Amino acid sequence: MTGQAGLEQRYRRLLAWYPRAFRRENGPEILAVLMACAPDGQRRPGLAEYANLIRNGLLLRLRPGLPRSARTVRAAVWLMYAGAALSTLNLINSVYLTIALASIDDNKLHHVRLPELTGYLQVPPLRPLAVAVGIVGDLVVIALWLWMARSAGQRRNWARIAAAALFGLATMDISVALADPRLISLTGSLGGLAVLVLTWPVGVAAVCLLWLPASTAFFKRQDLASAQPPGPALSGE
Amino acid sequence: MQEATFLILTALADGSQHGYGIIADVLEISGDRVRLRPGTLYSALDRLRTDELIEVDREEVADGRLRRYYRLTPTGTRLLAAEAARLQANAGAALTRLNPAAGTAR
Repeated sequence: MTGQAGLEQRYRRLLAWYPRAFRRENGPEILAVLMACAPDGQRRPGLAEYANLIRNGLLLRLRPGLPRSARTVRAAVWLMYAGAALSTLNLINSVYLTIALASIDDNKLHHVRLPELTGYLQVPPLRPLAVAVGIVGDLVVIALWLWMARSAGQRRNWARIAAAALFGLATMDISVALADPRLISLTGSLGGLAVLVLTWPVGVAAVCLLWLPASTAFFKRQDLASAQPPGPALSGE
Repeated sequence: MQEATFLILTALADGSQHGYGIIADVLEISGDRVRLRPGTLYSALDRLRTDELIEVDREEVADGRLRRYYRLTPTGTRLLAAEAARLQANAGAALTRLNPAAGTAR
């Protein structure tokens, strides 16, 4: 493989950090510019090029593909990312609990009820199961936040319907937890319950923003645009 | 508006340009100070297209490689003009205060 071909191959691999749709539309063009910018004799991308392409690829994956005019939808998407960040705190809390509980000498403490724990975590024989359910639940919640944010960012109208429905379920979950923490295991501890309660206003704000008249008008325009016959295709990778 | 965005829009102000042309033009406009990397440029171009400030003018194939030319939209032209006027007013105010002979000293 010649130096130029090897360099191009490496750049092509680096572009895998970009979203597939972006790559399909812009890949050949970016590749051409990368090769044009490369000094003669360069055989592999520099460290700064690696960092720049990876950083921009990841940013493009996260950034909502929404115009400046769709302010309310953009704000909702960033709030959903904030929700995912808060849920990550909950996951960290669950992992911390797992480590803390593993360090307890079960022979001495298997019958002890720990007041800082909630739900089934207070029942010693059920602790391992409750911890596992808690961690899986946290991962599912983070994935749901990210999925909703990404789908709304991709102008999918169903995303705001799904987001409202999921938020309704989360509200019921929190209400049950506040009414009687023994009934659920997902919150894990009082710290986890606190994060869950903090997350709720973020969810309210995101759902409200998605259903404001400005957002509704934006999604309707997207539905109309997607119903139009497609224009001429751009050249692919 | 970020400086890189302002410079990219400025590079497109007097006609359409392709990616490499924009990089070269931004370097010249900024007096060799701002050297855009392709990753940064295409991230910015994607955002500017989403915001409907620029659009694709035409595509060409040169030496077997795709070249896509971009141009300002009317919205992009208005925004660039407004930003340039704002920067000019700020720069004018700064220069006036730095050089009392050229304006009213405070």
